[in-house]
Amino acid sequence: MDPRLLRRNKQLDTLARHVITVGGVAVIFSVIAILFLIFKVTIPLFKPASVKPLYTFSHQDQPENILALGLDDYQENIFTINRQGQLHFQSLPVGSHDSLIDLGSGVGSSVKDLAVVGPDRFSLLWADDTVSLVKIDFLPQFDSQGKRTIVPSADIVEVLPAPALASPVVSSRCRQDSEGRLIRVNHHADNSFSIFQRTSSEDLFGEETVSELSSAINPYFEQISAFAVSSDGRILFAGTMGGTLLRWDIGEDIVLTDTVPAFKEPITAMTMVFGSQSLAIGTDSGTLSTWMGVRDSAVSETKKLRKIHKLKTHDSAVTTIFASQRDKSLISLDRQGILHLDHMTSERHLLNMPGSHLLAALSGRGSGLVTLDNLGTLQVNTLLNPHPEVSLKTLFGQVWYENYDSPDYVWQSSAGSDDFEAKFSITPLLFGTIKGTFYAMIFALPLATFGAVYVSQFAPPHLQRIIKPLVEVMASVPSVVIGFLIALVLAPLIEAQIVPLLLSFLFLPGGFLIFIACWQFAQRFTLIRELRHGYEFILVLPVLVLSAYLCYLFGPLVEKLLFGGNFSQFLFQNTGTRYDQRNCIIIAFGLGFTVIPIIFSIAEDSLSNVPPNLTAASMALGASRWQTVWRVILPSASPGIFAGAMIGLGRAVGETMIVLMATGNTPIMDLSIFNGMRTLSANIAVEIPEAPVDSTLYRVLFLCAVLLFIMTFMVNTGAELVRERLRKKYARY
Amino acid sequence: MNTARQAIIAIDDPIVQVKDLSLFYGQSQALFNLNFDIPRKQVTALIGPSGCGKSTFIRCINRMNDLIDGLHTTGSIALDGQDIFDRSVDVIDLRRRVGMVFQKSNPFPKSIYENVIFGMRIGGVNEKPVLDETVEKSLRRAALWDEVKDRLHQSAMGLSGGQMQRLCIARAIAVSPEIVLMDEPCSALDPKSTAHIEELIRDLNGEYTIIIVTHNMQQASRISDYTAFLYEGELIEYGLTKKVFTVPVKRATEDYITGRFG
Amino acid sequence: MKKIIRNKYWQEGEPFVWGSAAALTLILILTFSLLFVIFRNGIAVYWPSSLVSFEMNDGSLHLGEIVQDADQSGLHRYQVKIANRDLYGLDFKWLDNTDIKNMSFPVEAVLLERQEYGNFHGFLTTLNLPTLNIEEDSLWLRFKSALEALGPDIAKIDETQSELNALNYRLEAVDAQIADRLSQGGAVAPDLTVLHDKKVALHQQFEELVARLQDLESTLQQNNAVFIDASGQEKVIALTAIVRAYQPNSMSVLGKTGLYISKVWELFFSEPRESNTEGGLFPAIFGTIMLIFIMSIFSFPLGVLAGIYLREYAKAGFLVRLVRIAVNNLAGIPSIVYGIFGLAFFVYGIGSSIDQVFFSQHLPAPTFGTGGILWASLTLGLLTVPVVIVSTEEALGAIPSGLRESSFALGSTKFQTLTRILLPMASPGIMTGFILAMARAAGEVAPLMITGVVKLAPSLPLDGNFPFFHLDRKFMHLGFHIYDIGFQSPNVEAAKPMVFVTTLLLLAIVIAMTSSAIVLRNKMKKKFAVTH
Repeated sequence: MDPRLLRRNKQLDTLARHVITVGGVAVIFSVIAILFLIFKVTIPLFKPASVKPLYTFSHQDQPENILALGLDDYQENIFTINRQGQLHFQSLPVGSHDSLIDLGSGVGSSVKDLAVVGPDRFSLLWADDTVSLVKIDFLPQFDSQGKRTIVPSADIVEVLPAPALASPVVSSRCRQDSEGRLIRVNHHADNSFSIFQRTSSEDLFGEETVSELSSAINPYFEQISAFAVSSDGRILFAGTMGGTLLRWDIGEDIVLTDTVPAFKEPITAMTMVFGSQSLAIGTDSGTLSTWMGVRDSAVSETKKLRKIHKLKTHDSAVTTIFASQRDKSLISLDRQGILHLDHMTSERHLLNMPGSHLLAALSGRGSGLVTLDNLGTLQVNTLLNPHPEVSLKTLFGQVWYENYDSPDYVWQSSAGSDDFEAKFSITPLLFGTIKGTFYAMIFALPLATFGAVYVSQFAPPHLQRIIKPLVEVMASVPSVVIGFLIALVLAPLIEAQIVPLLLSFLFLPGGFLIFIACWQFAQRFTLIRELRHGYEFILVLPVLVLSAYLCYLFGPLVEKLLFGGNFSQFLFQNTGTRYDQRNCIIIAFGLGFTVIPIIFSIAEDSLSNVPPNLTAASMALGASRWQTVWRVILPSASPGIFAGAMIGLGRAVGETMIVLMATGNTPIMDLSIFNGMRTLSANIAVEIPEAPVDSTLYRVLFLCAVLLFIMTFMVNTGAELVRERLRKKYARY
Repeated sequence: MNTARQAIIAIDDPIVQVKDLSLFYGQSQALFNLNFDIPRKQVTALIGPSGCGKSTFIRCINRMNDLIDGLHTTGSIALDGQDIFDRSVDVIDLRRRVGMVFQKSNPFPKSIYENVIFGMRIGGVNEKPVLDETVEKSLRRAALWDEVKDRLHQSAMGLSGGQMQRLCIARAIAVSPEIVLMDEPCSALDPKSTAHIEELIRDLNGEYTIIIVTHNMQQASRISDYTAFLYEGELIEYGLTKKVFTVPVKRATEDYITGRFG
Repeated sequence: MKKIIRNKYWQEGEPFVWGSAAALTLILILTFSLLFVIFRNGIAVYWPSSLVSFEMNDGSLHLGEIVQDADQSGLHRYQVKIANRDLYGLDFKWLDNTDIKNMSFPVEAVLLERQEYGNFHGFLTTLNLPTLNIEEDSLWLRFKSALEALGPDIAKIDETQSELNALNYRLEAVDAQIADRLSQGGAVAPDLTVLHDKKVALHQQFEELVARLQDLESTLQQNNAVFIDASGQEKVIALTAIVRAYQPNSMSVLGKTGLYISKVWELFFSEPRESNTEGGLFPAIFGTIMLIFIMSIFSFPLGVLAGIYLREYAKAGFLVRLVRIAVNNLAGIPSIVYGIFGLAFFVYGIGSSIDQVFFSQHLPAPTFGTGGILWASLTLGLLTVPVVIVSTEEALGAIPSGLRESSFALGSTKFQTLTRILLPMASPGIMTGFILAMARAAGEVAPLMITGVVKLAPSLPLDGNFPFFHLDRKFMHLGFHIYDIGFQSPNVEAAKPMVFVTTLLLLAIVIAMTSSAIVLRNKMKKKFAVTH
């Protein structure tokens, strides 16, 4: 042989070996690896918050002198407000820009009390008991080069005069709601409250009319230790030294609506959680909890305050609680100065900053955190806290959301309003997935298995050659086609014929049994006996059709007699379940249709692969054909049938288009067969177009995909292992 | 020592010289210290009970065993004086010099013509006249020409079992190997086809060195010049076929050929 | 005696045999009724049905096609497609049998297919043809000839329209170039003026074309016909707005067949109208085929390569067994999981990076950083790779090892054995698996919905504008078409015929692919059957 050719062949062989090895490994590796990337997307959901210190410096003011602080979202500017009423803007790093604004010019000389009443909104109580409402904004501006600078600005929205009551004001909150209505609530030294409201309205001619209203609440017998006003200014909450929680409606009339003996210790801090539905309360011993008004029964209108969420307890008394102005996160400080960051709904303890902090503030969008400690050191941090609202509990457990009467599993990813809280409970989706799969399997498994038994064991061989490809064609029908048919053709049909359908569960087996009973007599005629072998499935057809026709015939009669002429109305009146047109019956048909061919093919294969000598041996012992199948063939093939069922199950779990089209996609948890549901897969398809990249919704949807992946992976692996063992078992025949 | 010398004879013009050949599958040893020479252009039969290592041994000669994981050998097999296990020996080249016919006939699912010239084609020969000539020559040598000359371009899958096996022999000799290894070539065939193949082997005798593994004693005595008896991986007796079958030196040989075990 | 028979009958389990037979029967009923419903409805859509004139007891008149009739609690009702959406607001009406005084089939009843507002049912009364000079015996023939005479002009309008599109594309390209120069070198780039001139020239050309188009359109629009509906209401319709006109009640079977063929032709080769519920499916068919084609380019070679590696080159052992199970498994992972992966990895991962590097001048408008045909194809490719790997492996594994041995014994290298013996033998098996995978991919919709399919794509991913293949473009797809017009369209009832046609087409494609795979496999089985 030509040595040159030999060498070339060998080189080619080596090259091919390398290319194939590298290529093959790369393909397999990347196909597997990239699927694990979906896991990676979900990981940030479960990471705790972290802070990255940006700047640390001492402020020129005494730490006790500083009452409030804040920063912008880009961590480029901070501000402080001190007791002298000076607003001090500093751009970061310190030194480049500095401006001092005197908020108190013309009014009181020094600040008695300061309260945070909104996103970068403060109410300042001056020594002369007047109150200023101050608004601070950070506006981005772009120059011609496109470079961004943040321009801070301060605005004194309103200055309200001192109240008429004689007793001096200790503390005051001033708020303005979205319609411009101003409200000022003062706590006086004698433990009374005074309330001042100013509503301005414009009439048709553009003339402004201002109405003012002053009212007072008599001193409560326990010393008020903390109070808060809801953002619409209509509810006043107060906590006492004795641990009692009080609520007044302070609209037109002042009514004490609730008194709860909430704690056995003084309430030390109180603030409204973002959205103004919940109240965060800290106590002397360091407990931190949130409270909400809940209707005590489904019919009553009054709401009673109840403890809803318990957050991480501090070691000493809670002194201040700051609510994030973006989500339901809370920053709390205790007497020792330790800072906690918690999320109300998820009850996650996100961050624990030791130290002796006096004050803290979050930037508007929650991306920055600034703290001040007792040595006067200011620390500016970038706060990484992308998904505080998600925890295993919110994903899988029952959560008591605002506006709900009890804890529940809720999936609701979006709504119209800004302060809406997204609810990401995966449980209803899992439930829907399992429910749909369950009904589909109930329908598909017996049909496919027994159909396969018949084809492989009883039908003549030429029939097998027709039916197997037919089943494969059935398997190839796109799910969108099935979804369309069952949703737009079958669903209305079944809705109209629901009673006949229900009847058929009785009539079909009944008709079949009657036929079987009759058949044994017909069997005595040799001619008929010869005819039937292998063609039972054709003989049975007229029986089934006839039974179905009887159902159709008797349906209206039965509906009239049993269900008062209207089944869905009957259903609703007697069981409280609504009949959805797109329900589980439809889904069972649709998913069943996709699953049947899968189970059928695998079951048929494993049944056909049972060595024929087993059948022969059984027959030789005088067993009938069914006895042979039941006692010999089915046990041998059962792992294969099991594997088929598992793979079918995996397919049903992940099927998307059918459930998307043929269920109402409502994430409810209801076992009724007449309801729809929402599955994990359909949820992904429905929500992902609306999910911004890397948002919580986006990652939760990936978590849904991960769950689907895990479910199908486990089911398929189980099936694969069973099949492999089966293959080995019969390899020796 | 004395008996050993009697049991294994010396060969004048050996083509294959086996020296201290041992073979291991992982931990277990399959061949033990084989030492013998195989004569050029004669038929040598390897006999022995199933699992004695006959097939394993001849698969060493064209290094087919390379394909099996966890298998290693010690000792040497010299082909024309050169050790085939030597690193410098190219296994592809070796296999072209040492053809092989397997127990189960395995023609490729191609035409008869393409089957015969497969070895030529992968060796880079594509000239039609050369190929035509080789096909005719090989098929004639394999005594198949008259039966298939009219359907050379039909699928080899349509041949009978015996024809397929002869086609495999034709395919093996088409590249003019020096040695043809035959691993029980008749075991899957009916008596008539077996007779056909035996006749063919006798025909090829003198032209090729043939090493044939068989468990059929009559076959070995009919077609071979030399016979080696292997038992449990050891070479028990080796010599002229006539001698081995008539006056075996070893008791085990005698027991085996008279059918007391095996 | 009787008792013994009965006992034996039950004991031997004959009823169970019948039970399993019934299971098979149900499966067959299910399959055939599905196929029947689709074929029956899909095929009948384009067969012109008669227009029935209903004279109601209250004196009102309706003209329409009977879509279905139903018995509801003893009442016989007809669902009638009365069309004329612009006049009545509704396409469909239920008529009770008891309310109907008289039903007839007026010979002159005309059915118009229009560019807008769906079909029109009515009668032709007058023709105004200021720009055409046509003389015919009857009004109807004159009308038909006029429509025919307008044909070339309408074609011209279409031609001008596509010219405009091409111009627009070039304009956009120039704009992009200008933006590119500006972002790189400011206003001093040397060829900026050239580009500007080019832009101005193009713009002028564009304006001229638009003017010509408007001119042509307004001239043609002067030709109109006056129709009255069943109740005598007049409606003037421009001839250019009419796609097709016929009198179904006076048509012969041959005429109907011709119409049927022309409609099927329209289905395959023209654009959709009326938010996809009328007209053709060409962009969707094209998108589907191109999607499958690009997918195949990726998944076939890679899958085969990996399959060959696993079966022929990888050292058998625990790891390979594990990989094999994993790959088998991947074939069963839900398609939506692949879809969401495709979104994260291809669209937001690779796509965004490509945009940042190559298309930064277009940002923040994404080029590849949004769904498109390339990403959808790759996602589907990922979905099919495991199937190809498995079928390649199985096909290679089915080859008796004796063939490998004899090839090696003849002195061939591994690669030669692979290319000359193994791959030719395995190819039918690989192809079978691959065609089945393609059939599955052709019917997949869920992963496409999140990686770039749209209900109406403005342009095809392949056209005459450089660089011809526009892999970043969004595309249309038959499967998504079904979902979209069946579930997202405002008038589901009117869309139904189109859904059925689309379904039939998709099903036909998929079944054709599956059947060819089955035939291929049977052939292969026969080929191997001779071996033993």
